[in-house]
Order: sequence, then structure tokens, then C-alpha cells
Amino acid sequence: MDQRNFTYMFYGFAAAWAVLVIYVITLVSREKKIHQEINRLRKLIEEGTKT
Amino acid sequence: MREKITYLIAIAVGALLITNLYTILLGLPDEANQGAIYRIFFFHFPSAITAGIAAFISLIASILYLYRRDLRWDSLAVAATEVTLAFGAIVLATGMIWARIIWGIWWAWDARLTSTLVSWLAYASYLILRKAVDDPTTRARLSAVISIFTFSGVYISWKSIEWWRTQHPGPVISIRGGGGMAPGMEAAAYWNLLPLAVLGIILITIRLRQENLQRLIDGLRRQAHEI
Amino acid sequence: MNFLRQSFIIAGKDLRAELRGKETVNASLSFSVVILLLFSFAFDPSAEETRAICGGLLWLVFAFAGALILNRSFARDLPNDCLDALIMSPIAPAALLLGKAMANMLLLLTVELICLPVFGLFYDVPWTRQIGMLLLVLVLTTWALTVVGTMFGALTVNLRLRELMLPTLLYPIMIPALLAAIQLTTLLAVGEPLTSEYDSWLKVLVGFDVIYTLLGLALIDTVLVG
Repeated sequence: MDQRNFTYMFYGFAAAWAVLVIYVITLVSREKKIHQEINRLRKLIEEGTKT
Repeated sequence: MREKITYLIAIAVGALLITNLYTILLGLPDEANQGAIYRIFFFHFPSAITAGIAAFISLIASILYLYRRDLRWDSLAVAATEVTLAFGAIVLATGMIWARIIWGIWWAWDARLTSTLVSWLAYASYLILRKAVDDPTTRARLSAVISIFTFSGVYISWKSIEWWRTQHPGPVISIRGGGGMAPGMEAAAYWNLLPLAVLGIILITIRLRQENLQRLIDGLRRQAHEI
Repeated sequence: MNFLRQSFIIAGKDLRAELRGKETVNASLSFSVVILLLFSFAFDPSAEETRAICGGLLWLVFAFAGALILNRSFARDLPNDCLDALIMSPIAPAALLLGKAMANMLLLLTVELICLPVFGLFYDVPWTRQIGMLLLVLVLTTWALTVVGTMFGALTVNLRLRELMLPTLLYPIMIPALLAAIQLTTLLAVGEPLTSEYDSWLKVLVGFDVIYTLLGLALIDTVLVG
């Protein structure tokens, strides 16, 4: 492979992958938060209807 | 079950992306003038198409929301807009790095770059607007209107290289009337478009599910308050 | 009552309300003049380089002054449920948008026309030489600013942080029109005539006006009424 401008090509690929990875990470963390909130609320409602 | 299928497709897509990297970096011949940097095209171009598809999905979802007033269309619109922003960021970032090498400048204010940046900013302000409105119905209504407004920027960006002489290269892929790409390279571009586009759709699906779960949370919260 | 007549009635109402108080125009005008003054300190007005950016300076000033006017446009009708009364009246929401946009355009044009001589004074540019074309560019771009701005003013009127949301939504969408205006004004304000290669910028302005006026008229119903 032609080595000219290799560094910048690497930066370019790194940038593209970085954006994707960051977005997937935000999605995963949001998913975790949502599930935590749902479990918390479900527990709250259960305790509320019991008493 | 549906989740399992989604994750399976995501893994397949990831595998395809990785194998494509081999083709892109080692399999393809060199370009005459640009050196290695031209290979960034195989992320730059498919990301642009994916961002455009996602923006179009957002437009349709917004119009359908205004028609049907079903909040699930609003959830789809948000999900699609976020994915538009993600892939749009890839286009802008890879474009700027490529431009720094080829044109010597990080940015130029020609029609395509300007309209792409403008559309990206407009979709970002869509998300900001949503944070400012609490009532879900009003939020959905106003967001839908903004989404319809901002899609015009996407369309202008797409057509800009036809309508104006731009710093950005004119149409080169064969279906748009150009003739400037070696067939092997064009095939590789489409082979990378497939996983990226499918990845975009998967991300929209995941985000859509999260939006619907969020609405479930709001309902549960109201229920918990009453008790 | 036909559509245009309704628009003119709304425009007249807004203009009369503004003329009685003059608060918005005064604020907008003093803000513009102060910014022009600040720019003439920041960038040496006599240098050739400043001639090259004068279009950008002018339109930045006008865009910020316009935001002041546009913020007030629908906000003026919030107290005493005036906005609800207007929406419930037999006046079409599209006529409401058109009327308010026309009133805002006249107010912003007034500010701009007063700022131009001030600018000519500070920067010593022969702005009157191409006054006809300059006025055309001014009118086209001001209409673009006011029609999109009034539309987004309607959208943001009931939001908290309204004064922040309106510029945030407005300026990205305005960039194509402002870019065209800046290119044209930089040439015209220093007295140079337009060459044929600037035709495409004029087309951008006209196209922008047509597209966004139609979009605004089509969508204002949804924004105001629901």
C-alpha cells in the first residue's frame, strides 16, 4: 500500500470509528439507566399496592 | 426474540465491516495522486448516504406523526435524527481530515460543506428544542415541524454538487452520471455502504426501543405518584 | 374577508402597537449602532481588509438586531391571552404568520436603512453607488430572516428559554441566505457593480425566500393550533 499520507488516513479511520463507538457507548449507558429506572419504579408500585 | 435477531445482525454487520477493512487497506490498488488517504472515501461516502437515509426516515416519521398523532412516530423521528447526527459527524470529521491533505485546508465555505454543516447544526438544535419542552404532545408536534424544515437542508446538500461549482468533488459514482471511479473501488464502496446502512438502521431500532421504554417509564412514574 | 386583507390587518396591528411603544425598534437600533461602533474599534475601518469583510459585518449586525425584533413578535401577544384570542379568531394562521412577518420585515428594514448611513460613515464606503441592487439584496434577505424568524418565533413562544431557542433554531437555517447576502453586500456596499458570477447568489436568495415562505405558510397551522 502506498505509504503517502498514511498518518492522516489513520486519523480519518480513527475518527470514523471513534464516533461510532462513542454513540454505541451512549446507547448502552442509556439502556442501563432505563432498565434501572423501570425496576425501581416497578418495585415502588409493588410496595405501594401491597400496603 | 426480536432483540436476539437485532444483536445477531449487529454482529454480522460488525464482521463485514472488519473484513472490509482488509479489502480497503490492503486489497485495493493505490490511487495515482492521493496516496493512502483516498481510502477514507469508503467511510466518508457510505456514512453520508446513511445519514441521508436516516434524515429521510426522520422526515417521513415526522409527517406521519402530524398525520396520525401517534407518539410512536415521534419516537422514530428522534431515533432517526440522532443517528443522522452520528453519521453526519463521521462525514464531517472524515471530510475535514481528507480536505486537510488534498486541498490543504481543513474547511471551505462551498455549497456542499456549508449545507451539510448547516443541516447538522439544525438537527442538533432539534434535539436541543426537545429538551426545552416538557409536554410530550407539544414536544412531538414542534419537533415534527422542525424536522420538516431541516430536511430541506439535507436535500440542498445532496443536490449542491449538481447545482453549483463546488470545492467538493462533483458526482463521480456511476449511477449519478460521473465516470471517475475504478469499478473495483466503486464495488468496495457499496460493500461498505451495506454494513454501515444496516448498522444505522439497527441503531435506529435500538434507540426507538429506548424511546418507547422511556414513555413506559413516564407512565409508570405517573402510576407510582398516584399510589 | 380575504387572505391578504387579513394579513394586512395583522401587520397594521403589530406596526401600530410597535409605533406606540417604540421599545423594540429603539432597542434594536441602539444595539446595532453600538455593535457597529465596537466593530469599528475591533477592525481598523480604513484598511483594505475591512472593505473585504464589510458584508459579513453588516449582516451579523442585522441578524442579531433581527433576533431582538423577532423575539418580541409573538411574545408581545402573550399577556392577557391575546395570542389565544388571535388563534381562535376567524383569521387564518397563515395570514397571522404573513402579517407578523410583514410587520417584522418593515421594522427590521427600518433599522437596516438607518444603520447603512452610519456604517457608511464609520467605514467610509461609497454605499450609495449601487443603492438599487443593495436595496434589492436588503429586501430579499430581510424577508428571508423575518419569514423564518417569525415562524420559529411562533414555535418557541411558549417555551422557557424562548430568547435562547429562537436564535439557536434560526441561525443554522439562515446560513445559506446570509452567506449569499454577505457575498453580494461585500461587493455592493463598496460601490462595485455585480458581475454575472454573482447571479447564482441572487438565485440562492430568491429560492430561499420562495421555499421557506411556502414551508412556513404550510406548517404554521400545526405550530399555532396543533
